[in-house]
Amino acid sequence: MENVETMMGRGRDAIDMIVDTDSFKEGTVGAKTFDDPEFGPGAVVGTAKLDGQDVTLIVSDAQAFNEKFPVVYAGIIGMEEGYKMAQAVYASLAADADKPKEQKRTLVLIVDTPGNGPGKVEEIFGMNKATGAYQLALAEARLAGHPIVSMVIGRAISGAFLCHGLQGSNILSLDSSFGTMIHVMPLTSISRIIKKDLETLQELSKGNPVFAAGPQFFYALGGVEEQIDKVEGMRPAIIEHVKQIRAAVAAGEDDKLGPWGRGTLGAERNGRVVRPKVINLMNQEFAAVAEKYAPSR
Amino acid sequence: MPKWNDIQEQSFLESDARARAVGLVDEGTFTELAGPFDRFYSPHLETLGEAVEFDDGIVTGVGKIGKTPVFVISQEGRFIGGSVGEVGGAKMVNTIRLAVEFYDKLVAEHSDLTDEEKPVVVISFETGGVRLHESNAGLLAHAEVMDQLQKARHKVPVITLIGSKVGCFGGMGFVAAATDAIIMSEYGRLGLTGPEVIEQEMGKEEFDSSDRALVFRTTGGRHKYIMGDCNVLVHGKVADFREALGKLAGLPVSEFEKMRRIGSPELVEKQLKLVALAAEMQPKDARDVWAKAGNADAATLDSKPFDEFVASVKRLEV
Repeated sequence: MENVETMMGRGRDAIDMIVDTDSFKEGTVGAKTFDDPEFGPGAVVGTAKLDGQDVTLIVSDAQAFNEKFPVVYAGIIGMEEGYKMAQAVYASLAADADKPKEQKRTLVLIVDTPGNGPGKVEEIFGMNKATGAYQLALAEARLAGHPIVSMVIGRAISGAFLCHGLQGSNILSLDSSFGTMIHVMPLTSISRIIKKDLETLQELSKGNPVFAAGPQFFYALGGVEEQIDKVEGMRPAIIEHVKQIRAAVAAGEDDKLGPWGRGTLGAERNGRVVRPKVINLMNQEFAAVAEKYAPSR
Repeated sequence: MPKWNDIQEQSFLESDARARAVGLVDEGTFTELAGPFDRFYSPHLETLGEAVEFDDGIVTGVGKIGKTPVFVISQEGRFIGGSVGEVGGAKMVNTIRLAVEFYDKLVAEHSDLTDEEKPVVVISFETGGVRLHESNAGLLAHAEVMDQLQKARHKVPVITLIGSKVGCFGGMGFVAAATDAIIMSEYGRLGLTGPEVIEQEMGKEEFDSSDRALVFRTTGGRHKYIMGDCNVLVHGKVADFREALGKLAGLPVSEFEKMRRIGSPELVEKQLKLVALAAEMQPKDARDVWAKAGNADAATLDSKPFDEFVASVKRLEV
């Protein structure tokens, strides 16, 4: 059933639904302030309280337009946006540099983005670096102990989802009744490019989640930890996942979190079952020859 | 498989992924992991009734250069454009993970481990990113690779090679950018959005994807070298890539930090200066940026003989 209340294009509204009432301070993360309103307007960053704790918010804003880089609108992440998001992550790391691993502040990513900046200027200067920089910063923060919860509220498309979301410790998504879109390409486009008729693909996608579009398919592959069926459910679910992530960090079980952890989840949910077989065999094969590659003493 | 000596003289561009993998490391040292005899192919291609390859279009393994263990990942553009799916993605991710685990083990066992005895990872990219036949699994594999690259930081250097026909685009475009060092030939191309998609977004007047010279000016090895996005530009033979790789393998990992373009707050600030320049210049063509870098001969820079280009080109400083 279609949900009347779609959250698409409502990144800023989602902030208020998630954090403690009136606690969001836009443009400040730790000691860093973002003072230029024209800098990376497609990315909203700031600090709020969640259940009384400081959290960094990083939100794609589908209502913004970047005057300097006209390919950036409707939630697209451009070069400025990517680096601004990375700055917010590094500022969070710096703010808690002296705190023990279990007490690092949470980062909440609110995800509603259709893509990375696709322009000529972007390619000349290297859009790949901007999105890569943000992902490395997120991975560094996660490995340092910061819980990162990605909350998909609208579109999480292909490279933009890799950029803004997939490095999270855990990923939550509003379910498909909200029109939430998680995919690389719609099935119609895939059908055209790989030259398979749409009906065949639709039929196959019932049994194999690997190419179909939607949060339920990513859930089956372990790419999304939990689906949320009402907007009021976002806040308690995020609070609960932060607790679980902190418990895993405290227990030294970092491997249960992030992309590697979701790989394991993908096998448990029967979505990606060949991956662990490949990994196990490679491990055995390397163990058998490792001595040859170690220094001789 | 051609003889090792013959591979050295082959064009990197024309070689297949396995010849590149074998030829990059010392003769007789390459052990393939999850190779074609293990018959790991994509179950998803099979479901769709498509042809499969028993290596899923990616060669992974380990070899040596001198005393340095070299973990090799080599993508095959001739199989579905080098695209990344569940199996190939897992091979890529786990090769980096094995290198990090091997590093941890060696450091724990040998208090006197030298820099040249520490492992490195080398990735020869030939890909447009996600394989659409299994797009969701391919996407998730990309995230795993980025995670492993960060886990390798300050331990195992990861070196990118780009000198293939397909180049390195899509999600793999930022994977390459996130590695420590990038070696390219002038035939290599690196970017995020492929030329056809830019044309579709901006119109043919702004960007004509059939204009080969324009495409190379925007994403090719020479341009990336000027922008500082490629650290070393080499001639096109396998031996040339091997020589450049050999010079880097064995360096202390701290030296690799200096070659990076992203991966720290300081580097983000540096990149933002470039973005400010982009906003100010709004270049119509990469040549505008080459001129800005101080190249008076920007109009003819892409047709200069290679050695002359490398000797005289001015790289962009901000």
